[in-house]
Amino acid sequence: MESATLAGAVTSLRSEPAAGMRISPIAYLVAPASLFFLLFFVLPFGVMALLSVLTGNPLQRADVTLTLRNYARMADDTLYLESLVSTLKIGAITTLTALLLGYPLAHWLARIHSRLGHALLLMAVIAPMLTGIVVRTFAWIAILSDRGVINSSLAGLGLTAAPLHLMYNEFGTIVALVHIYVPFMVLTLAGVIGAIDERLEDAARNLGASPMRAFVEVTLPLSLPGILAGSLLVFALAISAYVTPYLMGGQQVLTLPMLIYQQVAATFNAAFAGALGVLLLVVSVVLVIAYNHVLARLARREDLA
Amino acid sequence: MSTRPASWGRWTYYGINGCILGFLLGPLIVVAIFSLNPTPYIQFPPVGVTLRWYEKFFASHEFMNSLWLSFRIAAAVVVLSSLIGACAALALARGRLPGARFLAALFLAPLMLPAILTGLALFQLLLTFDVGRPTWALVIGHTLVAVPYVIRTTIAVLADFDRSIEEAAAVLGASPVRVFFEVTLPIIRPGIIAGGIFAFIVSFDQFPISLFLVAPNNETLPIVMFNYMKFELDGAIAAASMVSILLALAVVLAIDRLVGLRATMKM
Repeated sequence: MESATLAGAVTSLRSEPAAGMRISPIAYLVAPASLFFLLFFVLPFGVMALLSVLTGNPLQRADVTLTLRNYARMADDTLYLESLVSTLKIGAITTLTALLLGYPLAHWLARIHSRLGHALLLMAVIAPMLTGIVVRTFAWIAILSDRGVINSSLAGLGLTAAPLHLMYNEFGTIVALVHIYVPFMVLTLAGVIGAIDERLEDAARNLGASPMRAFVEVTLPLSLPGILAGSLLVFALAISAYVTPYLMGGQQVLTLPMLIYQQVAATFNAAFAGALGVLLLVVSVVLVIAYNHVLARLARREDLA
Repeated sequence: MSTRPASWGRWTYYGINGCILGFLLGPLIVVAIFSLNPTPYIQFPPVGVTLRWYEKFFASHEFMNSLWLSFRIAAAVVVLSSLIGACAALALARGRLPGARFLAALFLAPLMLPAILTGLALFQLLLTFDVGRPTWALVIGHTLVAVPYVIRTTIAVLADFDRSIEEAAAVLGASPVRVFFEVTLPIIRPGIIAGGIFAFIVSFDQFPISLFLVAPNNETLPIVMFNYMKFELDGAIAAASMVSILLALAVVLAIDRLVGLRATMKM
């Protein structure tokens, strides 16, 4: 079950060396990746965090001192807290909806017996996932805008006199975000559900449980780690979305990533953008740690059972 | 489920899943329809069929320059991330490396942490060292998010194959280097190729990192499309979108033929 999750793919390798085993020469192959990530991943985040507490660029000016003014500004203006709350709220609704839509499809994907059916279903899930975010956001504009597919169809059938406001608000943003992130949920869940022995559910049914009850009492609880892993992944992706809230939300939705880019592109305040970035980073890191923690606890509970 | 006669429960199950599939695939079909509809604004139902938006897309210097840039960057990302990722996957899976779990978490972090922050952080790095907005910065940024895919697909193949083949070769007297080139590498090649294909599409579609790193007049296709969409929503955007959708389909089919989608998509 562990191996079905993103981090689990690696932990399942049991790659921690056993006592007394010497390091293999193959270990040195990790050097290029380590160097690359140190230079272009760890260092940039360090620079970002550092610049957010300095008064200027220490490489260009000598009189740079430490300051908390960027963080004080964030705390003073309720705009930033409000945008954080609205970002998290959109993330939460997106995650929940993606879970509700993703679970049935993941279940089907995990349980379908026909080889061809499985391949086609998998393609149907992955093809949208590999289509760019900008493209999929455009598709939702074409569907939800005033002259889009839904409003034109409703008007054509004489059901509505004026177009419904389906976009330039939170609703449109969330619909498009769910579409973009539901494949991640499906793939995570399908891995976990597929690892659950189907015969457990069959046994419950043979003992007289209805298919629904067999599912609710056997498969659903066993798939809990997948639900958590998928939800965390989708939440982390959804709170960092920029394109979709920008194009679908009109001016009604202001998420943290939008504020961050605004500071860079319009206000040219890189240090303050960095401070907002640190805020989003802290939220994300807390999420990742919580996810690992819950997953580890679940694994322990299964060992005891 | 297969042993039971058809019941309304089963039909509900397929009905719900059919609707979800429609939700997933419908938007892509809508894009295809709009790319062929002659009116220069969003209109439904379509009033005819035309190829003028594809002509506009392929005749536009701005779109073509960005398409070419996106292809070149994606090609560089494929090479770089395949090399770095495959080496790292081997070391993590076979190296008996102390701290392997920590390193694995680090290498997968670009998928877990918001890409927009990776873009912002790289932007801050370029700014601090005052190096402008070179194209190689885009390659590096995209490589960060592509490496996790290569590591994952390579490890998926490594986890499946029998260690005893390698051990047998070693026992029979092959040097570790020979074991690597004659046994291990041929076996993991499909995983690396699948990872490389993922790297291509991840780079080709990358948006948030590019947003921070592109130089004016040297923008990737998704950025040009985004800027276009801020002001205009004609069929050219739909045509550009179709190019991206068809590319994604080609990628899915290629990976499926090479290594099978099932092995590589375990999240």
